[in-house]
Amino acid sequence: MASIIPRRALAARSAAAALIPRASLVPALAAQPHRDSSSLSTQRPTSVARREVPLPSQQKPEGVVDYALTTLDAIANWARQGSLWPMTFGLACCAVEMMHLSTPRYDQDRLGIIFRASPRQSDVMIVAGTLTNKMAPALRQVYDQMSEPRWVISMGSCANGGGYYHYSYSVTRGCDRIVPVDIYVPGCPPTAEALMYGIMQLQKKMRNTKITRMWYRK
Amino acid sequence: MSWVTRTIRNVWRIGIRDSIYQLATLGDTKAGVLVGIDSYGNKYYQNYDEELPLRNRWVIYKNFYGDAAEIEPGWHNWMSYATDNVPNSSVVPNTGYHKWGKNIGYNPTQTRGAYKPYNTVRPKIATWEPKVAERGA
Repeated sequence: MASIIPRRALAARSAAAALIPRASLVPALAAQPHRDSSSLSTQRPTSVARREVPLPSQQKPEGVVDYALTTLDAIANWARQGSLWPMTFGLACCAVEMMHLSTPRYDQDRLGIIFRASPRQSDVMIVAGTLTNKMAPALRQVYDQMSEPRWVISMGSCANGGGYYHYSYSVTRGCDRIVPVDIYVPGCPPTAEALMYGIMQLQKKMRNTKITRMWYRK
Repeated sequence: MSWVTRTIRNVWRIGIRDSIYQLATLGDTKAGVLVGIDSYGNKYYQNYDEELPLRNRWVIYKNFYGDAAEIEPGWHNWMSYATDNVPNSSVVPNTGYHKWGKNIGYNPTQTRGAYKPYNTVRPKIATWEPKVAERGA
């Protein structure tokens, strides 16, 4: 070991350690706010009380700029909610329920939802059905081809976590292993109403998205 | 049927203010009889004579961004055409009779109360914990 590390570096390190008194190091560490989740999970001190941080949807605007940007965000989010164009990734029987959503009984057109066959023109990808290992690279490629902002709805048990085919050798255990998922719609298959409710939850999520406010904060 | 005359007629019946509110929430103008108001403050309407089947019962939510989870269970039964009787206080299913059937009146998704899945089964796969053998100097 002594042959690998130069002797001079070792001496410098020990000198620096000697400069900092031990007693002052410990309170400095304790007072340090734990910002990232990794430090929370690994070395959470037992003495520090758990602090509830408000969710982005629960935060209230403060100041004039915040109010103005909230209004701007509301306009942008309203536009996004009103024209959701899904990329149809129909893989199995869930796709049939997804088709029911587009038929006149549930009539997704009234919400501004039009199925697009091209990922480059779509905002949201509805993964409907069993995602097999063979299909997974294609799913990822289609997701990568979608332009920002983009969302993913995982529809049905199979897309959520493998479902019935969880222990199959050829099935991906959830499409969230391949793409980041915004909304999980449970069911096997979920009804068209359930998928529509999931879309409404996605719209709720969009309403709470802070587009310009995050830009301003940066 | 969705004619222009129907929209004009409904706007005439319910007034400009309610029409704008309905267009913003329902996306349609509807006129009917107020059947009841549930404990959350949602208003339930029906119109059997002029509306199409399965569109003749509707709800105006108390909140602007109303959610189907905000409907009371008895009224949900009525909204789903499972019963023709308007629910009253004596017959309200799943409101605290069973602990699991308690209606909280909102969807806790995207809040602190959201469901987080957890596992109570001992993991079948043990993670690799590398043990380095002592090596001679």
